[in-house]
Formats: sequence, C-alpha cells, structure tokens
Amino acid sequence: MLEFSRTWLPFIYLYGVGGIVFTVGLFLILRTKALRLSYLRHKKWFWLLLYGFVFWFSLHAIFIILAVGSK
Amino acid sequence: MDIAVGTSLDRIIIIAYFALVMGFGAYFGKYSKTTSDYFFGGRRFSWWLISISIVATGVGSHSFLKYSTKAYQYGFSSTMTYMNDWFFVPLFMFGWLPIIYYMRIKSIPEYFERRFNSKARYLATILTLIFMIGYIAIQFLTLSTVLYKIFGIPLMVTVILIAIATTIYMHFGGQTSVIFTDLFQGFILIFAGMLLFYLGIQFLGDHTPHSGLHAFWTNLSPVEKLPLAHFNHPPDFNFVGIFWQDGIAGSVGFLFLNQGLIMRFMAVRSVNEGRKAVAFNALCILPISALVVSNAGWIGRAINNAVPGTLPVDMASNDVFVAVTNIISSPGVFGFIIAALCAALMSTSDTLVNASSAIIVNDIYKPLSKKKNSDGEQLKVARWTSLGVKVIAVIMVPFFNTFDSIYEANGWFHATFTPPLAVGVFLGIFWKRFTTPAIIATFIGGAFLMILGQIFPEMVSPFAHGIELRPNRGYSYIGALYNIVVCAGVGIIVTLFTKPNSDKKLKGLTIFDVLKLKEIYKGSRPNEELGKPVNVNWELMENDNDIIQFSTNDMETMKAYPGDLVYIQDARWWLGGLRSVHTVYGNPHNEDGVVYINSSHLDHGQFLEGLQLKAEKEM
Repeated sequence: MLEFSRTWLPFIYLYGVGGIVFTVGLFLILRTKALRLSYLRHKKWFWLLLYGFVFWFSLHAIFIILAVGSK
Repeated sequence: MDIAVGTSLDRIIIIAYFALVMGFGAYFGKYSKTTSDYFFGGRRFSWWLISISIVATGVGSHSFLKYSTKAYQYGFSSTMTYMNDWFFVPLFMFGWLPIIYYMRIKSIPEYFERRFNSKARYLATILTLIFMIGYIAIQFLTLSTVLYKIFGIPLMVTVILIAIATTIYMHFGGQTSVIFTDLFQGFILIFAGMLLFYLGIQFLGDHTPHSGLHAFWTNLSPVEKLPLAHFNHPPDFNFVGIFWQDGIAGSVGFLFLNQGLIMRFMAVRSVNEGRKAVAFNALCILPISALVVSNAGWIGRAINNAVPGTLPVDMASNDVFVAVTNIISSPGVFGFIIAALCAALMSTSDTLVNASSAIIVNDIYKPLSKKKNSDGEQLKVARWTSLGVKVIAVIMVPFFNTFDSIYEANGWFHATFTPPLAVGVFLGIFWKRFTTPAIIATFIGGAFLMILGQIFPEMVSPFAHGIELRPNRGYSYIGALYNIVVCAGVGIIVTLFTKPNSDKKLKGLTIFDVLKLKEIYKGSRPNEELGKPVNVNWELMENDNDIIQFSTNDMETMKAYPGDLVYIQDARWWLGGLRSVHTVYGNPHNEDGVVYINSSHLDHGQFLEGLQLKAEKEM
C-alpha cells in the first residue's frame, strides 16, 4: 500500500498552495479590471483560465488513481 | 561505464544537421533591418509560430539528460516541473504581458529603471547577465559531454565548435533567425522525442510476451507511475522542495524574468496573440515536452525490469539517455536523435545569447554611450556582443564542469539568482506601494541573507518541511522558499518605512494601470469597435509618412478611422506574419480592395508583387 505522503499529500499541497496563488491572481486581474468579464473575448479567457486549472488538477488526480490501483 | 556510441552514419547526420540549421538561420538574416527586428523580430509573428519556437527554448539539451535521469530513478514524477506553471498564468497573461508589450519594455533591467531608478537597473543587469551567460555555459557543457562520447574530440574543443556553429546564424539573423530556427528545431525535438518513445515501446513489445504499451505499463512499479514525488524524501528529489524551487521561484523566473521568453513575446503581433501562445504552450505543448524529455528514462526503467541485463549493470543514471537511445534505435536514427539534442542546445543558447546581447546593448551600451548612436551602429554592437557573450560562456564552462552533475549546477543557479529578481519584479508589478529603497534592499540585503543561508543551512531548517539536512551539502531545493521569504521580508519591511513613488512615476508599470496601457501605447483613445479583416492588393505611393491608405468601404468593414493602428501582412497564413508591418491608417480613398503603402513599408514587410495582403485594425 502506497503511503499518503507519496500519493495524495503532494497533490493536496500542490493544489492547495498553487490554488491560493491562482485564486489571488484571478482576483487581482478581475479587481484591477485587467480582465473584464463584460468583454466577450475576455470572458472566453476567463473560462480558459479556469479550464486550465481543472485540466492539470484532473490529470494529476487520474494518474494518482491509476498508480494506486495498479500492481 | 563506457558506452560505445554512434556509427559513421550517425556522425554524418549530426554534422549535416548542424549545417542545415546554420543555413536556415542565416537565410532569415535578411528580415533583420533594425535593432527592433534584431531583438524583437519586429513584433509581427502569429501565436502558433511563437508557441512552437518556445518549445525549443524551454527544452534545453540539459533537459533531455536531466529529466531522463530522474525518470529512470523515480518514474513519472520526473514530469513535475513541466506541470506546475498554470498557477501564475492569469497574472502573466493579464498583468505582466500587457505591461511589457504596451510600455515597449525592451529588457527586465529597463523595467527596474522605469519602475524604480537607475541603481536598481544596474543591479538587475548584473544579476540577469550572470544568470543568462552561466546558463549558456551549462548548455554548452551538456552537449559537449554527449558529443565528446560520439566524436572523441576533447571537451573544450567541442564546446568551441558548438559556439561557432550557433554564432554563424545568430550573428546575421538575430531574433527572426532565432524564431525560425527554433520553430524548425521545435518540430524536430518533438518528433525525435516521440520517435524515441515509439521505438522504446516497440522494443518492449518485441522482448516481452505483452504488447508494447502493456509491457511498458506493467513493468513500472506503482511508485514509478505516481506523477508527484514523495512529499519530503529523499533530500535530492522530493515534492515540496521542487515545488518551491521550480513551481514557485522557477515559474516566476521563467514567465516574468526570462529575457529570452520576454523577447519572444515582444515578437508577437499583439497581446492577444501572446496570450494564445501562452495558453497553447501551457496546455498542449508542456505535457508533450514532459513526455519528450523524460521517456528515455521510463523506457530504460521498464527495460531493466522486463529484460534485466539489457542495459549495463554498472550504468550511471546520467548515462540512461544515450544508453537507451543506442539500444533501441538503429544507426542513422541514433544520429538523428542526437541531432535533436543538438537542436535543443542550439535553440536554448541562441535565445539566451540574443537576450544577453539585448541587455548589453539596451542596458549598458546605450545608457553609457555619450554620443547618440544610429540604429546601424547599435545593430553592429549587438552582433559583436552576441559573439562576446559566447566567448565568456565558453570560458565559464570549466567552472560548471566542477559540479557533481548538470542537475546540481542548474539547481544552484536557479536557487542563487532567481529569488531576488523574482521578488523584485513581482512586488514591483503587483504592489504599488513597493518602494525604490526596498528594491535595492531586496537585492543587497536579500542576497546577504541568502549567502548566510548557504553558509549556515540551519537557518533554512524552519522552512524545510521535514526534509533531511545533509551534512556539508545543505538543502537542495527548499532553500528557494527560504530565499523567497528573506528577500520578500526585506522588501516589505523597508517599504513600510520608506516613501512610495508618485503615481505619475508608476504610470503604466503596475497591474493597476493595465486599463490605461492601450491608450499610452497608441497615444490617443483606443478604438475598441469590433471590425473584420480585409484582403487587399497593394500599390506603392510616394510618401515618407508612416501611414497607409484604404478605401472608405474597407475602413468601414474594419471599423477603423484615420489615426488608428493597423497590422498588415501577406495573406498567406502559414507565413505566420513574417512578411508584415504595423502602421497607422491615413485618410481614405475610393478604390475598394486597394491599399497604398510607401517604400519603407514595402522594404520592411518584404511584400511580393501581385500577392494580396490581409489587413486588420489593432486599436
């Protein structure tokens, strides 16, 4: 059985600390209106930024699940 | 262990490849007319061209050796550093990128002068130059180590030969040559890496009862399949240390401080194209790059588990890339894959050489030169500077050869030079209150505390997250967290006790002014109306003003008015903007489908007789 510190702990740390950086960044660009959701083009970028986060989150999670379940 | 490597065919392929790239790069020299072209490629390229050329810059020759070694030792977790860059992408796309593009910032040190003062610029120049030239030296050392095994030429002679080869096309072509050779080499790198993976899978299929992919998967242990390393063990490869060194300091360093990357983004035709290049790179190219640089190690591990004895028992992990390539590929293919390694080296070093030369011209030569130099003279200085940078890098190679491994040399470099600059630029952009005395203190005081941390590693222990302290060797990666904290700490404390710069001085240089950047760039209110591009035929007019003239109807289609900015390019999309210019709309005429340009536009854009142009309003 793989230990927690090999499997999910790094994952939680990565998306916990990294998630804070990402959220603060997103908050800052929205707050300063560098990213304006009223612009169609910017709205697409906003969703792409969220998609990127979910993409990497899912990719790492899937590989951990596959590794844990393999022999 | 001695690995017998390469046949005569392999050697011929490697030499032919060098010749091909030199010719290719030299050809694009004709598109460099001014220093702006030489350093920034004339701000005209499409996102896809920049995106692929970034691959070749990001994947250095040391990447193949370094990551395949870690992949062989630890499995899929070797990819960690390629998959943790997204956290800073929002701040880069909508904070830093518009600032450098619209404020026409030519170098990182220039930003420090405009945001703070000239002292900050000089300190930043010194740190940036040492970092980049040292990095070039590491690239030279890496490839020379591999080629030495194949050609048997003494290491330093190989280093000099490689430096000469890259100089030939860089000297004439500058950034345009760099972009196009990197585009070519980016494809070669990806193809060679994928080919290696395919051959490895085939080899496993041929030597086990299972199909290739099945054999690959089942011959890696569960630990080797994990995408992230153990949280804090062992000291030389653990998750938390690498997260702070690469995911935080490295990501800020790469996205916000890498002069080569900044110049690449300055070469895109618009900020939006730059954003597309970042997104495509981070979401599509980085996962592929991770596979490309690591797979020799994974294949080596799977071969070792499935067919013990195939790889030499006493093989050092560092040799896995060459050993696996040699075993699974036939003569000629081996040469091609090593040529791809050359591609990685040349493309990374050419970017860094061009970037160093830009810094020397823009941050040392121009400010110190008493007389006002012409563009031609600056271009000449830039070309000779790139040669000088290479000579210094070659001289530095023996120093880096004293490190235990290239991985260690690279890690030491990042840990030592990135944090003060990273903290400085980051607080500069995102904290308006951050003061000039604070940036000086960050550079000097922060560096002092970092040196103390190197001498007394016990100071780093409170940040170590349980990573073991190795006697006489200190901490490998988590030192980055300590360095960031001390630099940021010094910067924040000094800021709180000093007077901030006026809003006027900061105009356009922090994220809080991003809204005003387009207006600053254009010099008048930007026109944000959405129009459509038009295809037109060009006619030459006798006029020295930097304006081009369209018909009233074409202007209406583009929703453009006289004085707005326009981008016009050869209508063939696959040129990626190579033949293009940025200019200004003049007063309209009545001939639909015709644009009047002057001889300067024709010369700069290299437009061809009888071929249509595509025009679109910028703002």
